[in-house]
Amino acid sequence: MQQITLAFEDIFQGISNWRIWLLLSWQDIKLRYRRSQLGPFWITISMAITIYTMGFLYGHLFKQDLTHYFPFLASGMLIWAMISTIINESTACFIEGEGYLKQIKTPFSIYIMRVISRNFIIFLHNVVVLVPILIYFHVPVGWHIFMLFFGLCIIMLNGFIYGLLFAMLGARFRDIAVIIQNLIQVAFFLTPVMWMPQTLPERLDWILKINPFAQFIEIAREPLLGQSVSWYTINFNLAFAVIGVIIVFFIFKQFRRRIVYWL
Amino acid sequence: MAFIKLDDVSVEFPIYEVSSRSIKKQLMRLTTGGALSKESKVVSVKALNHITLNIQRGDRVGLVGHNGAGKSTLLRVLANIYEPTAGRITINGKVSALLDVMLGMDAESTGYENIVMRGLIHGLKRKEILQKQQEIADFTDLGDYLAMPVRTYSSGMRLRLAFSIATSVLSEIIVLDEVVGAGDASFMKKAEDRLNSMLNNAEIVVLASHSNQVISEVCNKVLWLNAGEVAYYGSVSEGIEHYMHHKISTAAF
Repeated sequence: MQQITLAFEDIFQGISNWRIWLLLSWQDIKLRYRRSQLGPFWITISMAITIYTMGFLYGHLFKQDLTHYFPFLASGMLIWAMISTIINESTACFIEGEGYLKQIKTPFSIYIMRVISRNFIIFLHNVVVLVPILIYFHVPVGWHIFMLFFGLCIIMLNGFIYGLLFAMLGARFRDIAVIIQNLIQVAFFLTPVMWMPQTLPERLDWILKINPFAQFIEIAREPLLGQSVSWYTINFNLAFAVIGVIIVFFIFKQFRRRIVYWL
Repeated sequence: MAFIKLDDVSVEFPIYEVSSRSIKKQLMRLTTGGALSKESKVVSVKALNHITLNIQRGDRVGLVGHNGAGKSTLLRVLANIYEPTAGRITINGKVSALLDVMLGMDAESTGYENIVMRGLIHGLKRKEILQKQQEIADFTDLGDYLAMPVRTYSSGMRLRLAFSIATSVLSEIIVLDEVVGAGDASFMKKAEDRLNSMLNNAEIVVLASHSNQVISEVCNKVLWLNAGEVAYYGSVSEGIEHYMHHKISTAAF
């Protein structure tokens, strides 16, 4: 009973202490670019270089119609970059916070929120890359764009839930970080980011249906491209979050007190 | 009213480096059906062994003991960082801990940024921090250096900053490890005065030190830890006497 209360308190206090995690994550970004002339603007530039070259190269390689392919690739890449980095970085977030964790009692969830907010700030920098593409290719951005807000919220929610799980695993088993990195690499090829779902033979459609990454990306990409999100995708994302909350909260309740001992 | 109550508290550290904390071993254990489990059991160190303790308001407890006797672990338990692996601990009151002052300072951030960061983590509001910032900055005597990254500081300067930040938050319960001489002689005097006023304002102080002089000046009780167990808990003079006697008799071998 008491462990449940403590676990619940940790999550509640961690999220409500937004000043701490926001400052930590903003500081992380500032430090990365501290001595460079352009500062965090480099995030935008490097993403722009990646997306523009990939767009032209793969557009021609796969003989795709650039009007559709380019916006598709660009928005997919932005969301993929955010999701994959959140997962990869969450495996190291308690180790990163060791200096604080062994010094002052702080909620563990602060460190997850730090990773989430850091990557969300980076995402906001990256979205700028998309604007000229959407304008140039006349993508009909309509009221669906409001769905983007909802989609991003669900991605953050799932990021927090599963980030907490990976953070615990990463602190306990030091191989997890590398294993996850490799799995993410594989997942990239199985997820329609570089290739469009229409190119997949119909009998293989189930890959998209059960691939959580495909569904995460879908819920934020469709609104960016002026399309509506299917009910299947919305339900999948919500179900994934609900199942995650139940499983991860149970694990967190069980092992929260051990985390400092693992560092 | 502040109090701390430890009831049969034990702390056991799993040491993963010895048996390797890799997932490979865990998987192997699954496939071999437990035959290996005895060998691959995690090695653990018992840092605190069944400690029962009552610390009341007004107590100034001096913690003595050999290296590795469990002093730092006990301080971390009192600061709520390590939750005991067995037993119960009840802490009533806000605890602030000065353990390793250098830990939790970000070398790439400036002095000012570190002040704000630490303040937030200690649970202060932004307004309170801004009020305190000037006071902390004045106390460090670091002047314009505070606008530079901490990595450019000398070790004495870092210590000054860390000490000033750590002693700026007032709490009912203060837990501190091995009060270090911060910086040069002139700063030492200032630091001592600040520490004393902070300790005087606290309801409970627990202080670990190897210096009998510091203990007898600050404390009114001594807790002697030996191999993770309470060897003595009581008056200062008697405690130090027992401890010194033990030290001499073991050193004879």
